[in-house]
Amino acid sequence: MQHSFRGHHLTASLLALALGAGIDAHAEDAGDGAPSVAVSGFGTVGVVHSSEAHADYIASALKANGAGATRRWSGDVDTRLGLQLDAALDKRWSAVLQLVSEMNLDGSYRPRVEWANVKYQVTPELALRLGRVALPMFLTAEYRKVGYIYPWVRPPVESYGTLPFTSGDGIDANLRWNLGPVRNTSQIFFGHADQKLVDPMRGYARRVFGLDNTSDWGALSVRASLLGGEATAAIADQLFDALDASGPAGAALTRAYAIDHKQISVASIGANYDPGTWFLMAEASRTRTHSLLGATRSIYASAGWRHGAFTPYLTWSHVRAVGATSNPGLPLAGLPPQLAGQVAALNAGLNGLLATVPRQTSVSAGLRWDLRANTALKLQYDRATPHDGSRGTLTNLTPGFQPGRTIHVASVAIDFVY
Amino acid sequence: MRALAALMLATLLAGPAVPASAAPSELVVIVSARSPVTALRPDQVAAIFLGQSVRFPDGAEAIPLDQRLGAPLRDEFYLRVTSKTPPLLKAWWSKMVFTGRGQPPAEAADSAAVRRRVAEHPELVGYIDRNALDASVRPVLVVQ
Repeated sequence: MQHSFRGHHLTASLLALALGAGIDAHAEDAGDGAPSVAVSGFGTVGVVHSSEAHADYIASALKANGAGATRRWSGDVDTRLGLQLDAALDKRWSAVLQLVSEMNLDGSYRPRVEWANVKYQVTPELALRLGRVALPMFLTAEYRKVGYIYPWVRPPVESYGTLPFTSGDGIDANLRWNLGPVRNTSQIFFGHADQKLVDPMRGYARRVFGLDNTSDWGALSVRASLLGGEATAAIADQLFDALDASGPAGAALTRAYAIDHKQISVASIGANYDPGTWFLMAEASRTRTHSLLGATRSIYASAGWRHGAFTPYLTWSHVRAVGATSNPGLPLAGLPPQLAGQVAALNAGLNGLLATVPRQTSVSAGLRWDLRANTALKLQYDRATPHDGSRGTLTNLTPGFQPGRTIHVASVAIDFVY
Repeated sequence: MRALAALMLATLLAGPAVPASAAPSELVVIVSARSPVTALRPDQVAAIFLGQSVRFPDGAEAIPLDQRLGAPLRDEFYLRVTSKTPPLLKAWWSKMVFTGRGQPPAEAADSAAVRRRVAEHPELVGYIDRNALDASVRPVLVVQ
């Protein structure tokens, strides 16, 4: 609660700043370096159908539900609306506020402050930002919510769907530098990240640091990033309380799996080659959490060809778990039958959590149709297979769910920017 | 007869102004005649207009100035220099704006307006129809 209050306060301040700058803009001649306000926005209207009736297909772990079990056709997987205010006071000072409305974990579309930061341009190459900024990771993570920018309906869910944090509160520095013909942008972030789960639960990460570098050389762009932090999330607290109460062996399981001050890290390297008439992208990443969220490696490759307003594309995407995703749990031998039943339930609960570590392969084919210079219509078919007893990136499983069964997902989306 | 003559005259007059259907227009990238910059490579121009570079090769600050949105000259410039169609360019700037990395260049109404503003401000870079050149600006790249 305290955090969201601070968030609102910051929002109000930035709005005041933006409005103040707007008044100034009218008072002075519009010219280079004069105060200005730019309003822009983005959105996606999409519907998704999934063949799997016993689980929901989702594009982000922060959604209440998706297509499949809850509804065969869901408008909630990709639909969102974003609004951004950019206020420039002069050549050095500017501020940005971005609000995004999309389905939350509680099922509402209550808008969230995605970004709210003040930027100081120290030199034309070096910028410092203070406030809420996009966390530096992956090729497309910073603009994953702006469908118009990328060719697909959504970034590959095996790489992008399971990360709960998209923005962080802190300070970052952006530096542009050239090395011969290679143009680089380096970024460093330090701060913390908060994420509301289902009220009143929240996850947070402290001492979050991010490092990333993007190198552009002609049509080639390469980005490497590393993000780390100490995460805590109130997931399955009752289970871990019960394990703690069961004795030293149970307490050891809690230490191993509870998301309680755990060091997490996400490293990725990706490349995009886009000479205009076609593109080829590939990205590999590695996530470590030292908790029930497990350790995973993911990779995807995607290619597309642009024929006039049409861009057909193909994507292959894969995520696998590193290390065990099950645990024998507490021994049942020698326990009285009633207690053995309770302990077996705890073991099953723990293994149920570990099964959420995603292992999945998808093949996708799609078509982007640029209707106008700010609107694109996309059709996409995904063939996704969760492996090895995992539920993949699916959620809201019902008892009829069988791991390993291929699911077919059809999506239609209209993306726009304004 | 008079109508036909008028039509022919109109066609003749319109000819040079509709280069897309006739011979390809020659686009030139310009800086102020007061600027020390004498030549730019296509990749340097592309970097300045895509917000990747904020300086001329000599280290002086460079600010791009666009033709208005939808102008055929503008679409041709970006296609030749950056290989980007209008939707790709829109996607590029959406990426810059929605990652907080920059705003698209300011715009001027036509080649004459671009030339006038570039002539006055040595930090500006523009592109105009070669026919609009005069001594107030210096061509630094002929766009092929």
